[in-house]
Amino acid sequence: MNGLQLHKKLEENSALLIFGILFVSSIGGLVQILPSLFQESLSTPTANTRVYSPAELIGRDIYIREACSVCHSQQIRPLLAEVERYGPYSRAGEFVYDRPFLWGSKRTGPDLHRVGGKYSDIWHRVHLLNPRDVVPNSIMPAYPWLADRAANAGDDIQARMRALQRLGHPYDDAAIEAAPAALANMLEVDALIAYLQVLGTAYVPDDSDEHGAEH
Amino acid sequence: MMSSKEIPEDEYYHDSVVRFLVMCSLVWAVLGMAAGVYVAAELVWPDLGFNQPWLSYGRVRTLHTNGIIFGFGVSALMATAFYSVQRTCHVPLRLPRLAWFTAVAWQLGVLAGGISLLAGINAGKEYAELEWPFDIAITLLWIYFGIVFFATIANRRIKPIYVSNWFYGALIIVIAMLHVVNSLAMPATLFKSYSLYAGSQDAIVQWWYGHNAVGFLLTGGFLGMMYYFLPKHADRPIWSYRLSIVAFWAFTYSYIWAGPHHLHYSSIPDWVQNLAMVMSLILLAPSWATMVNGIMTVSGAWQKLRTDPALKFIVLSLAFYGLATFEGPMMAIKSVNVVSHFTDWTIGHVHSGALGWNALITFGTFYFLVPRLVGAELYSVRLANIHFWMALAGTMLYILAMWGAGVSQGLLWLSLDQIGELTFSFKDIMASMPPYYLLRLVAGLIFLSGAVLMTFNLMMTVKGRATVRIRPPAVSTSAVQS
Amino acid sequence: MRETIQSWLFFRLLFKPTVVFEELSNTRPSPYSVFFRFILWLAVLPPVFSYIGTSRYGWNIGGAEPLFMTPGNLLVISIVYFFALLFGLVSTALIAQWMAGTYGARHSLGIHLALVTIIAAPLAVGSAVHLYPHVFINVLVLIPTLMWSMYLLYRGLPVVLKISPERGMLMASSLIGWLLVAAVSLLGLSVGLWGSGIGPSVGV
Repeated sequence: MNGLQLHKKLEENSALLIFGILFVSSIGGLVQILPSLFQESLSTPTANTRVYSPAELIGRDIYIREACSVCHSQQIRPLLAEVERYGPYSRAGEFVYDRPFLWGSKRTGPDLHRVGGKYSDIWHRVHLLNPRDVVPNSIMPAYPWLADRAANAGDDIQARMRALQRLGHPYDDAAIEAAPAALANMLEVDALIAYLQVLGTAYVPDDSDEHGAEH
Repeated sequence: MMSSKEIPEDEYYHDSVVRFLVMCSLVWAVLGMAAGVYVAAELVWPDLGFNQPWLSYGRVRTLHTNGIIFGFGVSALMATAFYSVQRTCHVPLRLPRLAWFTAVAWQLGVLAGGISLLAGINAGKEYAELEWPFDIAITLLWIYFGIVFFATIANRRIKPIYVSNWFYGALIIVIAMLHVVNSLAMPATLFKSYSLYAGSQDAIVQWWYGHNAVGFLLTGGFLGMMYYFLPKHADRPIWSYRLSIVAFWAFTYSYIWAGPHHLHYSSIPDWVQNLAMVMSLILLAPSWATMVNGIMTVSGAWQKLRTDPALKFIVLSLAFYGLATFEGPMMAIKSVNVVSHFTDWTIGHVHSGALGWNALITFGTFYFLVPRLVGAELYSVRLANIHFWMALAGTMLYILAMWGAGVSQGLLWLSLDQIGELTFSFKDIMASMPPYYLLRLVAGLIFLSGAVLMTFNLMMTVKGRATVRIRPPAVSTSAVQS
Repeated sequence: MRETIQSWLFFRLLFKPTVVFEELSNTRPSPYSVFFRFILWLAVLPPVFSYIGTSRYGWNIGGAEPLFMTPGNLLVISIVYFFALLFGLVSTALIAQWMAGTYGARHSLGIHLALVTIIAAPLAVGSAVHLYPHVFINVLVLIPTLMWSMYLLYRGLPVVLKISPERGMLMASSLIGWLLVAAVSLLGLSVGLWGSGIGPSVGV
């Protein structure tokens, strides 16, 4: 039976057609995704990478809520100019506690993967509440409401940490118990700043790759 | 074996649900594009957020993408799938009440989802921002969509399944697979969940989903639309049946691999990136094979252009389909991607597909379909012709503005001076972008205005008219029941 | 049928395009004459303008200062630009000739090269803006120029190729598909070349 006749069989049987589509379309995903799910290097944290603290976690969730990824990437590519501009390129082991990943796909604003420690808390505060106060030509939106709300306004930090714990993040129960207290007197803007200040700080280049470049 | 089967007296195609879905699609088109114009304006005048959380760029942009894909796009796909599956199978829609439920519930879901996005309820993954309760609702409604569609096919009076149904079928099956796998998450509260996958692994899963949402929803589903409506519109059969077979399976196989081209030079394994690049290039072949099939089909129908403005939309949409399916693989080449990634060039590419291909073929299809649904002439052929030129102008201006901005950004970000230092600061580079953003805003306004004209035209066409009732044709003895 | 294209036709394109279209519909030029008398010049003007402009002003593409290239690099890029345009013009004519069969249009390569000349003429003239290589200004000037080109394409094609307006509409739209692909290829080619060290210096 030649190809055309074989195909006629497929065209006349909806079950075969459905199965054929499912089979053909799953191959690519299986080949590309499955190995990565079992690859150690993609799920092993680099030396100093740790889980997010309660404040950082709330801050990260605010970053997601305001869709910051839509303008800011968090992925420094191993390109000369990029490493010069932003710092050592991003390693997989730095993102193992990032759910979801926030690499972004557009830079209307600069990459933020290594923004941690680059600007003071005050700078971030002023910038977030109105970017044009520090960068006159900036087109970033202003986020004044971040200073109006408490970080734990939703009173759900424990639920969030427990969900992550279930996914394998090494939060101990004592830390979860203490979390609300850790967020007391904190505003959303403070939590977001805490998150921004930790970004990229875990990776410390050792002597073998001084310039963040692979040898 | 079986004598000619009489069609029961009371058997009619179920087209009122089609009409409902088309109207909803038009509404979402205007709202979704208006949201797009709004965010385009915010990029020029950032204070247009008026310090309101629900008006801020990040949230409205998410509303725009979701409104267009799930509102405009899916409604149009459901409408045309339901319309065409009945006619290619010569049976009315099976489970019409389920079809209605799915159609209405979907609209409510889009509305509620849109509100949730403005409220900041966001899962953080592109085109999968809706949180887990919506993910479950989408899964259920999508399964119902599939049930109605495949039940109709299983019940068909014509043995072979027509090619448009393969594409709609692939749309349903593959999107279901992608959505379920990518949305897997651990809920923390009613409106917050955390992705099952983390970091690099999440990136690979997300772009397997994200790219194939484009591939099977925005491309595959609309190819189904083309394969049914174009021959009907042009009153000629598809140019090459063999080509459609080869193209379909090559398309379904290769598209899936292309996802990681969104992750070139990122912290995922090199082999995954390179594989994606190669498969993206291979993908060019089935994409263009389909385009050729479409163009050759319509080229013989030129006399219809005299009385039918909508055919112009279809032809132009195929030209832009050719552009977008060439540009994609080209941008997937690492040495091009190095400059294009993260820039407005990507946005330009998205819109050459979304405006040039998706919107234009849907417009052409609606101009053909809506008058037929009510058994009347199009309210104004002149308005449709004006719309054509506005759509062309808007799309071209959008693309040119984004090519200009994107290539400039990409080059300037990488620019080093003679001693190897960065030539420009990021903020200086971006400070020169607003003129392009202004051009793009104008482009969007032109395109939106055209869509508003069309919505007016089509609403005037259906105003006061009931959906016509059409009976399936009797089937001759030679066509055996399945 | 006339054998050669009158030179003055080129200049009437700006104000009296319909006259040009009518004349051409009655002309059957040889491909070589069109190529050497018109196509070559269309391909030469933009690279020459951009060479002059870039060496004097550099590429002003949005940073605070313009980007300059070494003279060697600039020459290579200008030459590649010339050949890319030449390839684009000739291939468009060949593709249009190939499409002619489908749409029942005239088949002579010479007339298709003439059609390409019509479409490209405004752009070649408009490329004078390359004398000041500021990208946004170039974009601003070339957009209306492009609109004029497309108008000439849609209006002129059916007349020059002697087919009905409806067939002309379809063929013109198909040709636009090809032109878009050619334009984006030029973008991709440029970018690829920069990454290989030809053109402005990029740190990849």
